[in-house]
Amino acid sequence: MSTDAAIAITIFAVAMLGTLGLGIAAMRGRDADREQWAVGGRSFGVVLTWVLLAGECYTSFSYLGAAGWAYGYGAPILYLVGYMATGYATVYLFAPMVWSYAKRHQLISVSDILAHRFQSKRFGIFIAAVATLALLPYIQLQIQGMGLVVNAISYGEISLKTAFVIGFVVSAGFVLVSGLRGSAWVSVFKDALVILTIVFLAIYLPLKLFGSHANLFERIRTERPDWLTLPGNESPGLGVLWFMSTCILNGVAFTVFPSFVAGYLGSKSPNTIRRNAIFLPMYSLLLLVPVMLGMAAMFVVPNLESNDLALLSMVTSELPAWVVGIVGVAGALSAIVPMAVFMLCIGTLWGGQSVNRARMVVVASGLAALAGALLFPDALVRLSVLSYEGIAQLVPALVGGLLWRRMTVQGAVAGLLVGEAIVVPLALSGHDPLLGINAGLLGLVANVIVNVAVSRARPDDQGAPGRFQRESEGSTMPSSSHS
Amino acid sequence: MTNHVKGRRSLLWLTVPFLLFVAAIPLANRADPVILGLPFLFFWALLAVILSPLAIWLAARKDPYYLRDEAEGTDVD
Repeated sequence: MSTDAAIAITIFAVAMLGTLGLGIAAMRGRDADREQWAVGGRSFGVVLTWVLLAGECYTSFSYLGAAGWAYGYGAPILYLVGYMATGYATVYLFAPMVWSYAKRHQLISVSDILAHRFQSKRFGIFIAAVATLALLPYIQLQIQGMGLVVNAISYGEISLKTAFVIGFVVSAGFVLVSGLRGSAWVSVFKDALVILTIVFLAIYLPLKLFGSHANLFERIRTERPDWLTLPGNESPGLGVLWFMSTCILNGVAFTVFPSFVAGYLGSKSPNTIRRNAIFLPMYSLLLLVPVMLGMAAMFVVPNLESNDLALLSMVTSELPAWVVGIVGVAGALSAIVPMAVFMLCIGTLWGGQSVNRARMVVVASGLAALAGALLFPDALVRLSVLSYEGIAQLVPALVGGLLWRRMTVQGAVAGLLVGEAIVVPLALSGHDPLLGINAGLLGLVANVIVNVAVSRARPDDQGAPGRFQRESEGSTMPSSSHS
Repeated sequence: MTNHVKGRRSLLWLTVPFLLFVAAIPLANRADPVILGLPFLFFWALLAVILSPLAIWLAARKDPYYLRDEAEGTDVD
């Protein structure tokens, strides 16, 4: 083993042990009951909610993927900061309402909320299945992201597969004990390191390699002009319409993304969520850094076998080992934190009233993703293309269902099925975007139309729980009339 | 939905991120002029990332629900 590898691996190993310790210590002195474990007792202030939500939106794969897309396509990657801005505006508008409904009825997950709203356990199970299918690929992506990071920063000494297992053990370790609170505490450590390393890389690398930031862009303008505007360099149809429709679709999907919901259900008040909606888009400034560095990598490490390696290859080739070690820790934590929240989220989808059952689901989902990463690295990841567009189809039932009492469970299910029936085949057959438009948005429009039509055509006598209660209360009074 | 936004005119500011990242993109999709060393589309993205939180803050500042730290009601109990 080279000295460089020894230095970087030592830093990494110490940090992983520290992470495990910190995450487990988060629960000291508290009973790990259902509310504490799943949603941190709904007690998190602005800072803990911030780091938790940031941990989820800005993951290892957003950094590696952002650099990779910038390296391969260029401008289309700007959609990432675009949909986060539209997303937080939507979160401001709808998330406090979802939060307060969940709090009033002690609900801890998206499936819980929908099962309660439509008074249908079967619908809850169906939603849990859809959400699990959407989240599993994300866990696998994080495990694989962790693998790329650890393999690169150990200068190849730690194999991809070993790194997959380390990632699973550390994140499952603290999430089993400390739940959402453990993830939040580790996120604090992670955010401090990520901000530090990203700012450093943003300033140092362009100055060292190109003399100035303007020089870097000047060089792209003269040598790689295709990268600077949509649809970018040889991208698969990522033009202006795609950019616009994706910023709308992903923006509205933000509020219902199951793991994001898990993050904000821990907030202690509506304004905790609203303040985060104000401040979190600022964090997107950090995402512009891997975009810039990904394009810089075109000149520094050309012809990589995988675009996702753009950022890491440049870091290991240009920086001293101790810096590489710290960057590696930041990158690994950016995989471990979201992995933990995704697993927790799947646990809460299936756990019902039992924390131990939820814990078993956490382990099972983590192992499934780990097996996927080890055995079929591509199969599950292909599903992740679908995740956002598939999950977006929950918006009418979840947000619309709380705003519109007359929505029936038949309407919600019919809309959802039609939406998915449009998205899944288009995405899997490579027809997304269709005519330049994000297939998820097409699905969502059809979803809403079908939902409203079915809900109106067959009004449900029982309706939402509130209406049902009011009617039964009303029926005790002889003079009341049924609507 | 009408109840949800009733009496909250400042929420119109929430459309700003959509104007910047959706409506304006056909016009912003160009490499020139270069501003602050950035090709135009990248400059636009940077500007929009900075303006979006500002717009959401402006929405909050005059929002009665924000001022009372209160959640919006739902149409169901």
